[in-house]
Amino acid sequence: MGQDTRQSAPGGRPSSTEDVPAIEVLDLSKQFGALTAVDHLSLRIEQGEIFGLVGPNGSGKTTTINMISGLSEPTSGTVTIMGYNVHLAAMAIRKLLGSVPQETALYEEISAQANLSFHADVFGIPRGQKRARIDAVLELVSLSARRNDRVRTFSGGMKRRLALGRALLHDPQLIYLDEPTLGVDIQARRAIWDYILTLKEQGKTTLITTNYLEEAQALCDRLAIIDHGRLVAVDTPEHLKQQYGGSVIEVETAAPSTAVERLRALPGVGEVEQEGVLLKITTRESGVLVPQVISLLSQEGEIRDIAVREPNLDEVFLRLTGSALRD
Amino acid sequence: MVSMLQRLDTLLRIIWATARKDMLIALSERVFTIVGVFLPVNVLILMSLFALGGSQAPTVVVMQDTGLYAQQLYAAMGHAHSFRLERADRASAAALLKAGDVVAVVTIPSDFDARVAQSQPVQVDVQINNLNTDFTNDIRRALPLSITSFYAGAFPHLVTVSPQEVDRYRTDTDYIPYLTVSVMVIAIMIGGLLQAGTAAAREWEHETIKELLLAPAPRWAVQVGKMLGAFLLSLGSVVIMLAVIIGIVGVRPAHWGEVIGSTLLILVIFIALGTLLGTLVKQRQALAVLAIGIALPLFFLSGAFGPISFDPLAVQVIARAFPVYYAIVLEQHAFHDFTLDPSGLTTSVLVLCGYTALAVALAALVLRRSTVRH
Repeated sequence: MGQDTRQSAPGGRPSSTEDVPAIEVLDLSKQFGALTAVDHLSLRIEQGEIFGLVGPNGSGKTTTINMISGLSEPTSGTVTIMGYNVHLAAMAIRKLLGSVPQETALYEEISAQANLSFHADVFGIPRGQKRARIDAVLELVSLSARRNDRVRTFSGGMKRRLALGRALLHDPQLIYLDEPTLGVDIQARRAIWDYILTLKEQGKTTLITTNYLEEAQALCDRLAIIDHGRLVAVDTPEHLKQQYGGSVIEVETAAPSTAVERLRALPGVGEVEQEGVLLKITTRESGVLVPQVISLLSQEGEIRDIAVREPNLDEVFLRLTGSALRD
Repeated sequence: MVSMLQRLDTLLRIIWATARKDMLIALSERVFTIVGVFLPVNVLILMSLFALGGSQAPTVVVMQDTGLYAQQLYAAMGHAHSFRLERADRASAAALLKAGDVVAVVTIPSDFDARVAQSQPVQVDVQINNLNTDFTNDIRRALPLSITSFYAGAFPHLVTVSPQEVDRYRTDTDYIPYLTVSVMVIAIMIGGLLQAGTAAAREWEHETIKELLLAPAPRWAVQVGKMLGAFLLSLGSVVIMLAVIIGIVGVRPAHWGEVIGSTLLILVIFIALGTLLGTLVKQRQALAVLAIGIALPLFFLSGAFGPISFDPLAVQVIARAFPVYYAIVLEQHAFHDFTLDPSGLTTSVLVLCGYTALAVALAALVLRRSTVRH
C-alpha cells in the first residue's frame, strides 16, 4: 500500500502503533435477508489482550470475526485493526492477521510441511527465513515428526495445532482463533490453551470465539457475551461474575423442599433452582440472606449442608441471556 | 527498479506456490486421473467412434453373378462413400437384415452381366431396414449414384455428361479426420474446464478458500497460479490426444508449429474459463454438469462437422460469439490447411487472446469480491 490509511482515533489523538486499539468495532451490523446476524455491535480490544467472544451457536460470533478479518462485508458499521480500516487497507491488515478458522482451512491432501510452505510463499516470508520458520513452528506445535505426512492422516487436535502453527508462521501481531478447541480431546485442548497463553507472553493480541465458558475463563483477559448478534456484556471474567452473578447459596435438605416459592419471596433473592434435595439460590446479599434461608428451611426439616460460593460463568451467561450456553 | 523487481519476484512466487500446491493436490486425488487424462481422451475416442459408426450404412451385397460388370457395380458402390459393404450369401444376408445388423441387402442377380451386355433392363433387388430415415435415404441416394458411376465407367460413350471439377485444396479431407480435429477441440475444452474448474471449486468445498482470501496476495496472482497449475496438469492429456489423432487416427498436421501453438492457446482459454466457472459455482459436481452441458451444444454449434459458412446465417452469428468456433478454425488450419474464417487466422488468435484476458480478469474480480457464507 502506498499510503497510510490508518485512521485517527476519536478526539484527534495522533495514530501510532502503540496507542491504537488492536481491534475497534463500531456499530457493526450484518443482515442476511431478514435475519440480523450481528446487531449494532461495538467493541474495543487492546493490544496484547486475549479477548473472548462468547455466545451460543448462531449468536453471531463467526460472522463478527469474519467481518473483522475482512472475509465478510458488514451491512453497516466499521472495523479498524491496528488503526487500519479493514476495507480501505485490506492488504496491510492481512499481513498483521493470523487466522485459525473453525474448519482449519488446511489442505488435507498435502503434507504439513507443504501447507506451511505454501503459506510462507503467499504471505511473503523471506526465502532465507522460510525453512527456519517452518521448523520452529512445527517444533512449537509438536508436529516435527509428522512434517511429511499428509494432513488427512492427522487427528482433530493435530490439525488444530497445525492450523495454529500456520497462523503464527508469518509472525502476525494479531491472531484470531474461531472455536480453537472445538471437537478436540482434553489433552489437545490443554496443549492449545498453553500455546495461546504463550502468544500473550510474546505480546500478541488474540481474539478467540468459543462456546466453552471454562475456556474463556482460563484464557481470556476480557470477554464479550454475544446473544442474537447483540453485545450483552463485556468485561473481565471476574468482573462479569461479580457484576452479574452475585453469590450462590447451595443448600442440601433431607427431603425435597416445599418452600421454593417462599424462598423466592425473600428480599434480595434472584433465582431459586431446585433439583431433588438440592436448592441453588442466587443473590447479591448472601450475608443477610443465609440466616433467613436457614430459618425458613429448618422449619420443614433437616438441613444437611449449606455453602456459599461465587457463581461460575455458565450462571452469569444464564442470567444475562436467559438460556444456557449450549441450549 | 529494485522495488519493481522485488514486487515481480513476490508475484511470481505467489503464482508458482499456488500452481505447485494445486498440482500436488490434484496428483494426490484419483479423480484427477479421470478428469485430467481419461475424460478428454475418452471424449475423443467416443466421439470418433460415434462418427465412424454413424457415417456409413452397413450394407450386404449378395453377388449371384460374379462377372465383370457385377464386380464393377460392386466397386462403384464401394466408391460411393455411403456404404460399409460386405458380401454374403442370400440366407446369411436375410438373417443379418432380420437381426437388424445391416441397413440394406442389395442382390445382384445371376443374369446381371448377360443382361447388361445385351442392354436389357436389369432389376437390382434392394431390401431396406427403413428404421432410420438417415440411413434409408443414404441407400436411396447412393444406389442410383453407384449405378450411374458404374455406367460411366463401363460404358463411357453412354454417359456423355461429366462434371469438370476444380478443387480449392490439393487433397480431399475425409469426414473422420475433419471431425476428429473438431472433437479434439471439444475434448480440450472439457478437460480444461474440468481441470481448472475443479481446482477452483475445491477451495470452496473444502473451505480452504479462507487461506487464500486472508493471504496478502493479489487475487489475480492467485488465480493465475491456479490456471498455471491446471495448465501444466492438462498438458499430459493434450499430448495423449495429439498422439491418438496423429498416431492412431492418422491425421497428419499440415503445420506442426501451428498445431502446438493453437493447441496450447486453446488450452489456456479453456483453463481460464474453467477457473472463472469454478470460482463462480463453487461446487465440483455442479461444475462437471455445467462443463459437459456447455460443451455438447457448442460442439454441434461451432462448425465441428463442417465449415460453419455452410450453415444458416443465424447459426453462424451465434457460433462466432463463442471461443470454440475460433478454436476449431485454428486447429483445422493447423491440421488440414483449411481457411474456415474469411477474417483470417490472426483474428481468431486475437479473439481467443481477448477471451483469455477477459476470463482471467473476471476470475480475479470474482475472487476479489468473494466473501464467505457466514
